[in-house]
Amino acid sequence: MICDMPRRNPGRERPQRSKKAHHGEPGDAFRCVGCRMDVPMIAPGTAHRNHCPHCLTSLHVDHRVPGDRRAGCRGRMAALSVTVRRDGEWLIIHCCQSCGGLSANRIAGDDNALALLRIAIRPLSDSRLPVSALLTL
Amino acid sequence: MSANGKSRSIASTETFQCVRCGLTVTANAPDGVRRNHCPSCLHSLHLLDECRSRMIPISIAVLRTGEWMIIHRCTRCGELTSNPICGDDNQLILMRMAVRPLAQPPFPLEAFGDL
Repeated sequence: MICDMPRRNPGRERPQRSKKAHHGEPGDAFRCVGCRMDVPMIAPGTAHRNHCPHCLTSLHVDHRVPGDRRAGCRGRMAALSVTVRRDGEWLIIHCCQSCGGLSANRIAGDDNALALLRIAIRPLSDSRLPVSALLTL
Repeated sequence: MSANGKSRSIASTETFQCVRCGLTVTANAPDGVRRNHCPSCLHSLHLLDECRSRMIPISIAVLRTGEWMIIHRCTRCGELTSNPICGDDNQLILMRMAVRPLAQPPFPLEAFGDL
């Protein structure tokens, strides 16, 4: 015999109301693929924020021009090294983990200084290296 | 001598001229790997995409394995490439590139002395 308990999942009389999806459209924040932090798009010192200020991870969406969104890769880009422009501004070199492409991005005013410095001193912390060349000067 | 050995000896005498400093260098480094940049000034040539412009070294990257890579940027199209360093690369220029970010820090480094 079948007991007449109410069904836990009654057939839907009405389809779910449509909800506005926020998949990849430009909003006022994005979630970092590296550390999952919600990052506001507004950044001090730059009009194009393209990496997480906390872990410096980026996403491979732009091709040549910043903001063109023409790269179909969408891989995670890890900060590889730091370089300095002629005017003294720091750039982060990002390396795409899925296609190996490189890109250079200006740092923002609220980037994690400790993470930046860690990348910058990485060559100097290597012991077998040309530090001996400097000592001979 | 085998054909294989002959081709290797021909390859080892192959040279190219640096586009920046004009130094004639062997195409193969002493450790046998193919060179793609001048060991003296570390400049390179953008051979992909038919660009053939000068590529300047902008940065040093250290891989997880501890290997050093030179990041080159093409002066014409702005393309970035990374190449492993050779044993006879100019160590002073390598070192200069490595310390350049620390010479012009965007934030005061004194704050890190307390850490």
